[in-house]
Amino acid sequence: MKFDRRFLLRGTCQGALAVMALPFLDCFLDSKGKVLAATGRPLPTRFNTFFFGLGLTKQLWIPKTGGKSYEMTGQLKPLEPYRAKLNVFSGLRVPLDDNPNYQHWSGAAAAATGISPTKQSEFDSKTIDQQIADTISHGARFKSISASAAGDPKQSYSSLGGANTLPAEASPLSLYTRLFGPGFQDPTKGDWKPDPQAMIQQSVLSVVADNRKRVMQNLGSADRARMDQYFTSVREAELQMAAQLQRPEIQAKVTIPDAPAEMVCNNALPNLRKVTPIMARLGALALATDQTRVFNLSVSEPGSQIFMPGDSLGYHQSTHEEPIDPVLGYQPRVAQYNVDTMELFAMLLKELDGVPEGDGTILDHSLVFAFTDQSFAKIHAVDGLPIFVAGGASGRMKAGFHVAGDSSPVSRVGLTIQKAMGVSLDVWGKGSMEIRQPYTDLLA
Amino acid sequence: MRNLAVSLLSLTVLASAVGIASAQAAPSSQVMSMRRLTQAEYRNSIADIFGKEIEVRGSFEPTIRVGGLQAASTSVLSVTPVGFESFTNMADSIAVQVTGEKYRAKLPCTPKDAKTPDDACTAQVLSFYGRQLYRRPLTQDEIKASVKLSNGLAKSQNDFYAGLRYGLASLLQAPDFVFRMETAVPAGNKQWALDPYSRATRLSYLMWDSTPDAELLQAAEKGELNTAAGLEKQVDRLMASPRLDAGMRAFFNDMLELDTFDTVSKDSILYPKWSSGIAASAREETLRTAIDLALHENGDMRDLMTTRKTFLNRNLAADYQLPFQFKGDWVPYEFAAGSGRSGILTQASMLTMFSHPGRSSPTKRGVAMMDIFLCEPTPAPPANVDFSVVNDVNGALKTVRERLTAHATNSTCASCHNHSDPIGLSLEGFDTIAQRRTMENGKEIDLSATIQGKKFSGSEGLGKFLHDNPKYTSCMARKVYAYSRGENSEDVSASAFKTANKSFADSGFRMRSLLKAIVEDKDYFSAPTPETTSAPTKVAAQ
Repeated sequence: MKFDRRFLLRGTCQGALAVMALPFLDCFLDSKGKVLAATGRPLPTRFNTFFFGLGLTKQLWIPKTGGKSYEMTGQLKPLEPYRAKLNVFSGLRVPLDDNPNYQHWSGAAAAATGISPTKQSEFDSKTIDQQIADTISHGARFKSISASAAGDPKQSYSSLGGANTLPAEASPLSLYTRLFGPGFQDPTKGDWKPDPQAMIQQSVLSVVADNRKRVMQNLGSADRARMDQYFTSVREAELQMAAQLQRPEIQAKVTIPDAPAEMVCNNALPNLRKVTPIMARLGALALATDQTRVFNLSVSEPGSQIFMPGDSLGYHQSTHEEPIDPVLGYQPRVAQYNVDTMELFAMLLKELDGVPEGDGTILDHSLVFAFTDQSFAKIHAVDGLPIFVAGGASGRMKAGFHVAGDSSPVSRVGLTIQKAMGVSLDVWGKGSMEIRQPYTDLLA
Repeated sequence: MRNLAVSLLSLTVLASAVGIASAQAAPSSQVMSMRRLTQAEYRNSIADIFGKEIEVRGSFEPTIRVGGLQAASTSVLSVTPVGFESFTNMADSIAVQVTGEKYRAKLPCTPKDAKTPDDACTAQVLSFYGRQLYRRPLTQDEIKASVKLSNGLAKSQNDFYAGLRYGLASLLQAPDFVFRMETAVPAGNKQWALDPYSRATRLSYLMWDSTPDAELLQAAEKGELNTAAGLEKQVDRLMASPRLDAGMRAFFNDMLELDTFDTVSKDSILYPKWSSGIAASAREETLRTAIDLALHENGDMRDLMTTRKTFLNRNLAADYQLPFQFKGDWVPYEFAAGSGRSGILTQASMLTMFSHPGRSSPTKRGVAMMDIFLCEPTPAPPANVDFSVVNDVNGALKTVRERLTAHATNSTCASCHNHSDPIGLSLEGFDTIAQRRTMENGKEIDLSATIQGKKFSGSEGLGKFLHDNPKYTSCMARKVYAYSRGENSEDVSASAFKTANKSFADSGFRMRSLLKAIVEDKDYFSAPTPETTSAPTKVAAQ
């Protein structure tokens, strides 16, 4: 009989649990204290993005001091429970160089790519989640998953570049079905067998992929690039099938819930408050069960159309049309919507932090990059974009800091994140946002 | 004898043409355009090829609007991993149904033994459906690859149909099906033009929003679409069919931006009456109005701006505050004179799509109407603008007009607002869910407007202004032209559809005349000469 490392570990673990009542967590730690899944392999570090439109109100969100002991501000209150796992970045510059300030676009695209966009609604490169997915997603069923709490598949800021974005799942039910519907293999079930269908589908995909050489002939350069993207997608489907033929690696202590009901998903805030936590929970479960290692959640488009019923203006119109209160010095209604979106962000963090695994939670083994389109939406300003990074990246990212305005370009956050996620790169961003120096103090 | 001589002659010409082409390493064909099938095109194609009983379950990637048309984005967008995942799942699901027991009798052949591979029968089935899916005959190599796949899987599963299923699925997710490729070939005199199958494809998706039928493919095969008479015969046939409704519905849905309804939400406290049922009905109302005028009545398309005739169901009657005593779903209805209703301009669709959730927006409406009906997009506002005065409903300025006017005294704002606001202001007699009103915040609404020196008042004035504006009809011609070719309407030169626009006018602005003139124009299928430098054929082959 062969005793491999995996078998031994599982055996002693279960034995220990039964006989010696060893604390649960300890038996998943190897000699160096590194987190191990029950299979004996390290838990993957996951990546998430959270997109919220229209930024925040400067006077109300930026903590007065930098470092670890900053005083929590009014607009960040909803994030208080996760403070120790959160980094807050203020005063980041978004130099657009010679490109126009595309309203409700340039800031968001710059944060997601480190590049000032040359076209409205187009990314000039792959977005950061896809760059990270190239490194971390190998072996997961889906390279990435995006969801739109407002119910619009176009509200996705995940792209392979250009005008094509990876469509977002537009309801909890469609998100659930994609993740846990047909093709899902529950890693918590013991009776796993490779699905012969997956093997057959692989051979079909291989015939489809064989069209490449023939089809690529006679195409102009733009169409060649598009066709190339099609075949990249075919390749990804092949990898998905390959992943399905592997025994799921993670034995997460989660139960997959029943499918959620059909829900109204739109820009009305009360609906967003219902939908966001459900989508966040499904995302957290998808990460826990290694369906994907990259989860993107958006609650609005840039120029957020969120509205509170009874407010005939809504969020976006308010940013432009609400007068600045002469006494307060800011737009009170806008400020309320700002806090509302931070509450939605907190819902994502809550769900990620609510799934335990190994020595911590999914959030501890993740990074969450939260970004937006404007710093001061009223005048479409982008400098000073509010940016948040939550999670510990399995110990590779230090957290709990307010990184106060040092005039770094926003791309410095993106570079730091990628370093923490194990992406091998020395430089990120283009033009004035090209950066080589990550926030080394944050990297563990 | 004479015939033989002609054939020999043409053979010689062909041979020498090939000789020259290969000597210069120039491609013998070039894909000019590659359009991702829309959801409707995909569904209609599957229904036409396999029958309506085949269910298509799955999601489609969203399109975006380029130059006012989603159709133009299909030439720009590709298939993302998410989109392909859906295509591959749908392909398999369709193939399962087509090879299922219920459907088998319809297949063009039966295998010698249902438990073993039968390559001849597989090839027959795959070339039969493949020709319709790819909108051209399959090459021997293409058939061979899928037959081989079917053979292997039929063998391993001892089931002919199981093998066939996967061969068919491989065609259903191939790029040749999910993209409509338009291929150009040399057309003599150094000119290039679309090959016959690409012509058939362009015609069919324009007229029927679906894949070419057997007769059209046959006309392509015989070269008939390359002659004026042959083309006209097919165009007339396509246009005589009731299926033209589906084609033009797809066009109007795109041009009138009715997909906007997918993301319209209204404030449930301020407008509790609004429902998703009204939204769906409003979209249908506008499509019915447009199709009825354009095709069933063969009417003057300018009347789309002024007619009081429409179609109502119970949902809409409630929204329009009209009594609805009819039985059945939809009934024709004519708004009363003086009701303020003027064509599709005042239908619930246009008025609600281009409004905020809780209030109307003259700017949104104005910008949309200028773009949709006059092909005049409004530039994005400057980044740093103070809009505060527009919103202060508690101040001295009671109506949106007063507030917008105050805002537009700012000179940087004025140029654009003077461009788009007048249209929107003349529609202020209707609230965000298209109900009529005369007062705003206790003050009577002023509906007067001046555009390009022309003064008018209210929606009826606006309708008349657009009705008489040659820019409106030429914008429609431009959009049909761009839609049919998947081009950005803003990049289309006026000369490209000049002849068609004239025929449109000469006919008294009949949609059918416009369509016919566009597709029968001598340059409609011509293509630019590909750059020889790219010579991708040779490069790829090495």
